[in-house]
Amino acid sequence: MSNQRFRVNTPTVTHETIDGEAVIINLESGNYYSLMEVGSFIWGLVEKGASVGEVQNLVLQAYQGNAADIDRGVHELLIQLQQENLIVSIDGRVAFDPSELNGTLPSNNSHEKPLFNPPLLHKYSDMQELLLLDPIHDVDDAGWPKPNPDPPK
Amino acid sequence: MPTSQVVPSDIPGKEQASRSVEYFQSVYELFKSSQQETGPLERSYMIGGYRIGLNFSGPALLSLNRALEHLAADEDSTPDLSICLWDSESTGQPMSPRPWQEGDFLARGVIQGYNTDRIHTAFQHGSGAVSVLDLERNLAVFWSPDWRLPYWEIGSPLRTILHWWLLSKGLQLVHAAAVGNSSGGVLIGGKGGSGKSTTALACLESNLSYVGDDYTLLGFDSRPVVHSLYNSAKLNGDQVKRFPSLLPKISNTERSAEEKALLFVSEHYPTKVATRLPVRAILVPRVTGLAETRLRRISVAMTLAALAPSTIFQLPRAGDEAFKFLATFARQLPCFSLELGTDLSTIPPVIEGLLAEIDSAGLCVREE
Repeated sequence: MSNQRFRVNTPTVTHETIDGEAVIINLESGNYYSLMEVGSFIWGLVEKGASVGEVQNLVLQAYQGNAADIDRGVHELLIQLQQENLIVSIDGRVAFDPSELNGTLPSNNSHEKPLFNPPLLHKYSDMQELLLLDPIHDVDDAGWPKPNPDPPK
Repeated sequence: MPTSQVVPSDIPGKEQASRSVEYFQSVYELFKSSQQETGPLERSYMIGGYRIGLNFSGPALLSLNRALEHLAADEDSTPDLSICLWDSESTGQPMSPRPWQEGDFLARGVIQGYNTDRIHTAFQHGSGAVSVLDLERNLAVFWSPDWRLPYWEIGSPLRTILHWWLLSKGLQLVHAAAVGNSSGGVLIGGKGGSGKSTTALACLESNLSYVGDDYTLLGFDSRPVVHSLYNSAKLNGDQVKRFPSLLPKISNTERSAEEKALLFVSEHYPTKVATRLPVRAILVPRVTGLAETRLRRISVAMTLAALAPSTIFQLPRAGDEAFKFLATFARQLPCFSLELGTDLSTIPPVIEGLLAEIDSAGLCVREE
């Protein structure tokens, strides 16, 4: 597990991280998500190709907390992200370069390290109705679905 | 059953490219045939700085013009985009049988196998309309089986085609309202029912101008700008009760039982509509139940979460590109939760106050 790596499930998933908050959209399911603080930090590491073990080590370096709690928190978030089809497992090694993280760590000073709180994936499903497809019950002679007078939203 | 797939899985190859071009041409030829009986009828509009020509087959679909009339332009110049419109009911010209399978109807009406970088094809399940665009020829066709269109199509006409084409010009259609004054405007974003229309309509009797209350157009002109797209407001039953002065101005009162009330703002408030404003802030409305309206600073990410999904999930083919556009736009602006009071008269002063504060304090474009 610790050598396992993931990639963001593009093009099904699009995402942006702004001021330490990640917004993630699953374009197929209609669900969207937000990750803050350590969750956003972990998302950024996964996106850059870090393995599970590398993520756990880097979170341990950047946050105050015991290793077991951090390992469990990282593991549970990664499971959730997979279950929501936001990340997919990849085979083989990728070139993960920790120096890319310069400036993105919450703090380099051990006295200023933020406390580790288990990351929470906030999920929003209120847009799913916009993706619900109108079942095609009736078609005309040319095969065109008959209009559905109900509004789309 | 159509599939829930959003992103077409087939990589556009030569066969798909030629099939899509041939399909576009066949629909365009049907439009031209329909015009032989009815004669041409043309209208021209300036949308987001581009001249859009509407070429009708007879007068039956002219109801689609009302939401765009505030942007009417002279018809002397060549349009940047020509949209041909016809319906089978009034012209007697049938549409050809659909050439794709039932499983090719994807979410948001995208037609699998008939979408390439050049050709865009979508079906609107509600109205039964087909929209096709040839980006290379700057030519689009809108076909509807019937000239009697649903109120939401009349209120937001040609949304799919305009979204596709304007995106190619660097303009993003967004599910957001906008109001403002000489200091600039505020973009008001959020899902349906969040308070966008209420906010925009509450400003009609104030000193603030109206840009739009449901869909607007975003661009960059060294700084973020919002362009007006439709002057139509759609009000649900509760909103009609809250704005009794608008009741005599509703255009579809005879169908109030089955439709939202439709109001064409520029017909009743012609001097209130602004066609373009620089954007100074983004507001995310929220109904609180408190009497007073107030602002609370929120994060850009929270604002993006309110703005982007409700835009992307309404527009065929919208996805990563639209999301990145909206993120870039939001990053440059201060963002606030607009906590709406039950006393609607408290809304405009809060927005005017914010614009004045931004104007005087320089609280505007964020540093990247």
